Amino acid sequence: MANQKNQNKPKSQNDAAFLNTKITRLQFFFLIIQTQIGVGVISLPYNLQQVAKQDGWISLIGASLIVQLILLLYWLLLKNTPKQHLFMNLEKVFGKWPGKAATLFYCLYFIAVGALILILYTRVINLWMLINTPKWILMTLMVSAGLYLISGKIKVLARAYTLFSGLMLILVVSLIYGIRDANFIFILPIGKAGIEPILKGINEGVLSLLGFVFVLIIYPLVEGTDKEKLKTIFYTQWFILGFYLLVVFSTFTFFGAKEILLVPEPVLYMLKAYEFSVVERLDLFFISVWIVSVTTSFTTYLYMAGKGLKHMLDSNKEMPFMVMMAGVALTLGLTFGRGEQLIGQYGDIVMKFGYLFSGLLPVLLLVVFLARKKELTGRDST
Amino acid sequence: MGYRRRKSKQDKLIEEQPGNEADVKEPEQPSYSQLSRNIEYLTKALKHSNDLKIRILNEGQAALLFFETLSDQEKLQENIFTPIENGKFDSISKLPNGKQTDDLEEALKVLLRGHALYIEEGSKSLAYFSVTTTYNRSVEEPENEKVVRGSHEGFVENIMININLVRKRLEHRDLTIKYFRVGKKTNTNIAIAYMDGITNPELVKEVEKRIKSVTADTILSPGFMEEFIEDNPMSPFPQTLSTERPDRVIANIMSGKVALMAEGSPTVLILPSTFFMFYQSPDDYNARWVSGTFIRLIRLMSFLIAIGLPAMYIAIIGFHFEVIPDDLVPPVKSAIDQIAYPPFVEAFIMVIIIELIREAGIRLPQPVGQTIGIVGGLVIGDAVIRAGLISNLMVIVVALTAIASFVVPSHELSTTLRLLTFPLIILASTLGFIGIVFGILFILIHLVKLESFGNPYFAPVSPLRIQDLKDTFVRIPLFKLDTRPKDANPIKEQSMGESREWKRNGKSKKSKQTKKSK
Repeated sequence: MANQKNQNKPKSQNDAAFLNTKITRLQFFFLIIQTQIGVGVISLPYNLQQVAKQDGWISLIGASLIVQLILLLYWLLLKNTPKQHLFMNLEKVFGKWPGKAATLFYCLYFIAVGALILILYTRVINLWMLINTPKWILMTLMVSAGLYLISGKIKVLARAYTLFSGLMLILVVSLIYGIRDANFIFILPIGKAGIEPILKGINEGVLSLLGFVFVLIIYPLVEGTDKEKLKTIFYTQWFILGFYLLVVFSTFTFFGAKEILLVPEPVLYMLKAYEFSVVERLDLFFISVWIVSVTTSFTTYLYMAGKGLKHMLDSNKEMPFMVMMAGVALTLGLTFGRGEQLIGQYGDIVMKFGYLFSGLLPVLLLVVFLARKKELTGRDST
Repeated sequence: MGYRRRKSKQDKLIEEQPGNEADVKEPEQPSYSQLSRNIEYLTKALKHSNDLKIRILNEGQAALLFFETLSDQEKLQENIFTPIENGKFDSISKLPNGKQTDDLEEALKVLLRGHALYIEEGSKSLAYFSVTTTYNRSVEEPENEKVVRGSHEGFVENIMININLVRKRLEHRDLTIKYFRVGKKTNTNIAIAYMDGITNPELVKEVEKRIKSVTADTILSPGFMEEFIEDNPMSPFPQTLSTERPDRVIANIMSGKVALMAEGSPTVLILPSTFFMFYQSPDDYNARWVSGTFIRLIRLMSFLIAIGLPAMYIAIIGFHFEVIPDDLVPPVKSAIDQIAYPPFVEAFIMVIIIELIREAGIRLPQPVGQTIGIVGGLVIGDAVIRAGLISNLMVIVVALTAIASFVVPSHELSTTLRLLTFPLIILASTLGFIGIVFGILFILIHLVKLESFGNPYFAPVSPLRIQDLKDTFVRIPLFKLDTRPKDANPIKEQSMGESREWKRNGKSKKSKQTKKSK
């Protein structure tokens, strides 16, 4: 027992600095939003349209409801484990070694998603802006931006995400501009395709909303009561739903059902069509701003992966693991980013794992926690 | 006269503060009772310097030592000899304006401070008198911080006069001045000023700690101090605001910041500083608030132009020509078609030319400087276009950038901005918009990470403090600025009570009541 205590001591110390940082609810709000909104924006309408036809927006709402339900379950867990983040909970609830194993898998998953973000972003850039620029340059740029951001710890992350959220305004305004040419007939009749495609569409919708698992890590740092925090969590989901609905509606009503299947990046094609007397090609500016959102998503995943690894190995230093994980992401990105087919397969697999790591595992955590609740909380107090 | 009185007070203060040179044990040398041994010790310690004058008095029974280069002959006469001649006192050592010591090391110090030292045969006690001479420039408007309306006074090289300028404007007992000595050899006098009861004591403690930890031999100006005490010396951004204007210093002291002054320099450092403080000018508060806001917005826009415009232009010309609307394509194309160099080289040449002209203009006397400006700006600019080396659009872009960088009311930040243009130009010419986005992303992340004395540098934008935005991008009416900005974590936030209640009198009693109940 004494031995175990000694082992536990440095861990609680190295996380003390992390757990002692306080972030406001507003920063929490933007941290979640910037994590969830990312690469998906550009191709979301296309993906929804492929499966659910013009009823894609119903799927999106359904997906958001599911995510909100999962987040409510998260909250039930987090409420009972104050001052404990995901990786601590894993070890505490599942036991030391199974917990460490789960942490490792989480890290691998996070970094795989990070690599996927790199791949998808490079693909868009290579298609739309810089056709001949090598992938590794673009990826290195994003990875170094992410590392630089992380080197300032969670507080800087929170501040920077809040600052960058101002840029979302540009995205929103350019999308609202698109509504001008909306043709609402395109989304009628509602429910034409039937229930099944809509349910299938929910799958696509949930995938675009992934990233909310970040809540499990930063929740203990947020100021305020549990109820206030829960409210903030719901606000983030409503904001994201609203933003995505704007994306989906503006493109669905602009292109129409058949046309949208021809354009894999409907948002960009829509913006490309507009002409102003001062500038043309709004899509290029949209991509420029969108890159910031992608960087924040990538940074979060990199951060979570590095954080997990650090926790698993009980180390006091953070940056070496972040750099290591960045290297892994870069390698994965360059390996799997070489062909359309490969990208598709890789993306499918990684996204599927999202259900396991964002849904199944945390819920399992909650169930086991509730089953062992007395035992766990009892041991704490002694 | 007023200054001198304060000077002696200052000496007392410094002697009373053991913390100043606490690390090194003060060498002590008790004085001898023989006059000759005392003089021998002192002259040897001062390396027989030629400007040390020894006046033998009382037929060799006493001596008066002073540096003729540091002491004022008139004061010597007035303070020491006139009272004796008047017959009120029989001995110089009994004069009431003298101070006593029996430590030769201390005697050395006061000699170097410009005092006159009186030694008597057979007495161990040494008397010294303040006869320091100072040569001062008059209080003039600082060249680099001119304002249209408001005070035209500026700091000078004498720290006593500078503190006087501050005290005159801030007649309150809470204004606290603390002296320090830094520079092992230069022994520079440094003072910090802050408002007790407004400024966060933690901040004052931190400033004191950092000042005391400086162990350099030479501290010539606040510029030296700046690099020793700032949080991140690697950053291109200045983290302490330097100003030569008393009104600016007062405004900052009143918002809970600490001012650092140094003997021998008119520049005062404000600690901590935020990025947006560099964009505030006293003019904003002298003008009406609407015009103040307008000018401030123009200034902040100049930040974007200064760092981003050439990069943007190069990216568009080099990568994203499709961004230019159809009607503008022919003129742009005809302008850049005949140019032999890529836009990157063009921009580089032009930026370097402007920097050369600027640097040459600063050092030269004003009439010549103007000629350089005209020759450089007009003649070279025109010739370079006619020769087909650089497109006329590039000249417009770079000139506009240079002007925008000069709009910042702070010289340091202006240089920083022009420096940041280069990496952005390089990024834009290699990666187009993507390069610019990442470049700006890096700059923003850096700004967010940066801290000045533990306070976030990019506040109140990041971390977002909506309350403080009222004096950042805009300048709302002064009577609405009723809370101090949280930049320096002041312990007293309220900065005014109700000031315009006469406006509301009789109109609505309700609001007044609710105010009262609060």
